[in-house]
Amino acid sequence: MGLGSLALADLINPHLQAQVSPTSPRRPHIPAKAKRVIYLFMAGGPSHLELFDWKPKLAALHGQSIPDSYLEGKRFAFMDSSFKDRSKLLGTRRAFRQHGRSGTWVSDLLPHIAGITDEIAVVKTCRTNLFNHAPAKLFMNTGTGFFGRPSMGAWVSYGIGSESQSLPAFVVLQSGPRGPRGGGVNWGSGFLPTTYQGVPLSGRGDPILNLATPQGISKDTQRESIDAIGRLNQSRLAETGDPEIATRIASYEMAFKMQTSAPELIDLSDESKATMDLYGAKPGQASFANNCLLARRLIERGTRFVQLYHTSWDHHGGPGETLTKDLENVTRDVDQATAALILDLKARGLLDDTLVIWGGEFGRTPMGENRENPGRNHHIDAFTMWFAGGGTPRGAVIGETDEFGFGAVEDECHVHDLHATILHLLGIDHEKLTYRFQGRQFRLTDVGGRLIRKLIA
Amino acid sequence: MPKVVTWACVMATLLGAAVGRAGEARHWAFVAPVRPGLPPSKSLTASAHPIDRFIARPLEEAGLSLSPRADRATLVRRIHLDLTGLPPSPAEVDAFLADNSPDAYSRRVERLLASPHFGERWGRWWLDAARYADSNGYSIDAPRQIWAYRDWVIQAFNSDLPFDQFSIEQIAGDLLPQATMAQKIATGFHRNTQINQEGGIDPEQFRVESIIDRINTTASAWLGLTLGCAQCHDHKFDPLTQREYYQFFAFFNHCDEPSLPLNSAEDTRRAAEIDAAAARYIRELSEKTPAFFDKSMEWERSLTPEASQKQSQEVRTIFSLPPPTRTLEQRLVVLAAYIETTPENKAHQAALKKLRASRPDVQTTMVLRARATPRRNYLFVKGDFTRDGGEIAAGVPSVLHPLKKPAPDRLDLARWLVATENPLTARVIANRVWQQLFGRGIVQTENDFGTQGTKPTHPELLDWLALEFSQPSVPGAAPWSFKHLLRQILSSQTYQQSSRVRAEPASKDANNDLLSRQNRLRLDAELVRDVALSASGLLSTRIGGPGVHPPIPDGVMSLGQVRRPWNVSEGADRYRRGMYTFYFRATPHPMLNLFDAPDAYGVCTRRPRSNTPLQALTLLNDAAFSEMALGLARRILKEQPATTDALRLEHAFRLCVARKPSAGETDVLANLLDRQRAAYRTDAPRAEKLVGSRASSDPAAVELAPWVIVSRVLLNLDETITRE
Repeated sequence: MGLGSLALADLINPHLQAQVSPTSPRRPHIPAKAKRVIYLFMAGGPSHLELFDWKPKLAALHGQSIPDSYLEGKRFAFMDSSFKDRSKLLGTRRAFRQHGRSGTWVSDLLPHIAGITDEIAVVKTCRTNLFNHAPAKLFMNTGTGFFGRPSMGAWVSYGIGSESQSLPAFVVLQSGPRGPRGGGVNWGSGFLPTTYQGVPLSGRGDPILNLATPQGISKDTQRESIDAIGRLNQSRLAETGDPEIATRIASYEMAFKMQTSAPELIDLSDESKATMDLYGAKPGQASFANNCLLARRLIERGTRFVQLYHTSWDHHGGPGETLTKDLENVTRDVDQATAALILDLKARGLLDDTLVIWGGEFGRTPMGENRENPGRNHHIDAFTMWFAGGGTPRGAVIGETDEFGFGAVEDECHVHDLHATILHLLGIDHEKLTYRFQGRQFRLTDVGGRLIRKLIA
Repeated sequence: MPKVVTWACVMATLLGAAVGRAGEARHWAFVAPVRPGLPPSKSLTASAHPIDRFIARPLEEAGLSLSPRADRATLVRRIHLDLTGLPPSPAEVDAFLADNSPDAYSRRVERLLASPHFGERWGRWWLDAARYADSNGYSIDAPRQIWAYRDWVIQAFNSDLPFDQFSIEQIAGDLLPQATMAQKIATGFHRNTQINQEGGIDPEQFRVESIIDRINTTASAWLGLTLGCAQCHDHKFDPLTQREYYQFFAFFNHCDEPSLPLNSAEDTRRAAEIDAAAARYIRELSEKTPAFFDKSMEWERSLTPEASQKQSQEVRTIFSLPPPTRTLEQRLVVLAAYIETTPENKAHQAALKKLRASRPDVQTTMVLRARATPRRNYLFVKGDFTRDGGEIAAGVPSVLHPLKKPAPDRLDLARWLVATENPLTARVIANRVWQQLFGRGIVQTENDFGTQGTKPTHPELLDWLALEFSQPSVPGAAPWSFKHLLRQILSSQTYQQSSRVRAEPASKDANNDLLSRQNRLRLDAELVRDVALSASGLLSTRIGGPGVHPPIPDGVMSLGQVRRPWNVSEGADRYRRGMYTFYFRATPHPMLNLFDAPDAYGVCTRRPRSNTPLQALTLLNDAAFSEMALGLARRILKEQPATTDALRLEHAFRLCVARKPSAGETDVLANLLDRQRAAYRTDAPRAEKLVGSRASSDPAAVELAPWVIVSRVLLNLDETITRE
């Protein structure tokens, strides 16, 4: 059953869904360049001005006021408190250099990512609508700032199903000092059935909630129990003719398989020392490095959408949020493993049809924030994300910002445009992937979304 | 400011221009229902139930007929689950099977309608629309107290509070003359909006968001209208203008949002006195040692944004004020926060603790209260509250019946919603009651009775139900009585028929739109828990009170932005019905979430029914369900002490699904029991692990363990978690 017809059937009658497995693979609308996604979500809003968007003019005019024309009609977070003197430009202290044949600018904070610039496409002109963390994260994940809307991973699982019979279609991994703001709604299924929500997976202990059989029940007993449940359900199916029972029987089979496949998935003992060293992974840690390696293992096993969250990138300048030590720490956490993931996927021939996404929910202001240490406020007009594999161009730089990195001067890429393009790479027409809820047709890209041609190789 | 615009709105603009304003055609739902005549029927006698007459006609036209009545064990379980959410005990099933009198069924229905658990079952149904939860939502998601509202809903259903009064008290109970405590508590309905406590936000933006939610919820829950489409522009399909949206906005724009103490006046006064004494303590401290102010400023400056956010709303508001501009009162509030949270002030904390030792625990509930001075109410240009499009007074959409009162307030709105001229409310509610009992409404788009919604499959039946609800024809029946409406539906053959899929209707009416059978419905999330608790004998039947904390898998509470404590309840509170599980919006109990409990971010008028491996893992492995399997095993052995395996298996089976097992089903269970008995006899340590610490009345672990396995299988059956 094609996606269009499934969505159409759903529109007419949601009960038809029971007739096909909700997660079985479905044919895309258009030929897909990417089959799966690994989304490295840098929670908190990484400073594009310290990492990828080199602005010598900003450094030259450090301490001077930003021209009023930049600020007219703008609203910012923390307007009432720590942002009273919001107009002084803050030049970066980071050393920038061009890397690779592409000549992509990268700062000294990301030496490993600097080594893979010829594999990635950097988009310097991303733009979002919302300037507080939780709403902005929702916007990046769901296309709106409202709670209760489906996330991109849920939309993708709904749209093209899963390739795995033993692991969830959409898996979430977390690292860093705390969970991302907004929590589970970032990977929620919203009004889509919960079948499509992201499943948090942990690299240590019980990898999925309630995965482990209770104490005192052997694997044989578990198997026999599930067989007995299956036989009794089968006889009820024969009696009632309700296809939902067949789905339930299949759910128990997959649950049983997950009990084996998920612990096997997080057991890194079959990875070579070279691979572990490449990522900087250590067995039993819930680190970003381990999660990158788990992401590769997940997609190798057919998982459609893996999302890694790493906190915290919220560098306002206060304690724990400095643009110096704290930014250095978080970049150190992610730099090596991120580059390792790209190199490893490439070496295994997986990068061509795996789309890797790197970025946060917004960027940071070119103006300094008035706290003890130099810091930057949330900024929505321009920020950097980058993409690799999955039909994106290698060694590209897309979009240009103004002399302060405040806004786009060419190729502005709104979140809706990014979503439309990501779905396109996966073979999905963003205007056709819809779901009827509260009397309206909803889609990931809301009323927007235009393909970013330069991001499609 | 995010705009609620969807591509549907844009499409609608194009289409809307082509078809013209929908209101001109007098869309069916905007015309008040009239009591329809009963259609002729070939298969039913003239005395047949009106509902069956309306259902039989289209079936006959399609060459189909109603299914036979479900067998009595299935039927009695169906009505117990539909009316109370709890399964019948084997004794209750036996009593029903043994009762051959013609009114056995209706007497059982009456008994269940009178059960205090009726209010829990149907109260929870309403709480979906009310978006009830126990926390503030958004990213910080701090706990809140509003359970008294939840209990008010339960009591309202139990006492069969007429739906018109039920509505008026929830929308505007505070405005009723001499409003009672209960009527004030009822206004909690519209306090179930989220509250954003994130740093750096614009509070006015989120106040506006909560009013938008109130409008959308009211329009959806009572009127079945997508009024939200008119927030940014005129509705493109339905005759609702953007201006009318902001007229509606005005009803909710003039409220304060306080918390109401629930304790006695004496307790409340005593608590206030003690709070004043504590404030005095802090003040005296500052007078004696003014340097404390400097220390508190130092402390404030040292806080990370994370730590700042953990402070109360009041403290954070003061943090945002430049220190020189702060009043003494405000400085004292910050000083108090410093004294109470820092390790260097242990001695003062101890003194304050002593002061508060006798303070009554004041419980509160969130309510609405009319504001003394109304706010300016204006149209938001393109839905953006920062763009003033001119002042607008309160009013209702002109396509509906008029609200004939100058300067109407919330109370007038509430009365207008349940006025007999209202063409929508009775239909919308009757349709959702029908949906709850058949899995699907007569109007399938239960929240869109506008021109883009689906047409009713049985329009005359819908009108008959709506009028029987609001203006009953049965002598002695009260208007707007849920119990009367349920009695009517449950007494029909349509409701009582078997849910078995038959070949011929399946080929002609694959989706069972014509209702040639009942539908099998997977139980709502809370009931999945309740049925297992009930079968296991562990269920606490206590009704109401603050939310409780049953076991939760490790790690769930750390998934939110702020890790919230979850101290597992002990004693009876560990085994309360699912609807009492404390509900954090950001980190809901995974069992409820996985079985499709609503997320409480907005109005929910229909739950999806998903069917996933994670549900299987929950029922198989979750600690709470393991405990219930153990409880069921103990119960079987205790209640059938000296009998055969076959009798015990039958008892266990009936505890879960009410009916007796077939020979084949008994074989599957007996076979499992034998094999597990053999396995555990050779592995006593494993059996010990399974049953954990044994009660003195327990049989040996190796005897109990195989029964735990069988019990666990029974609790996992599709039938156990399904209303047949």
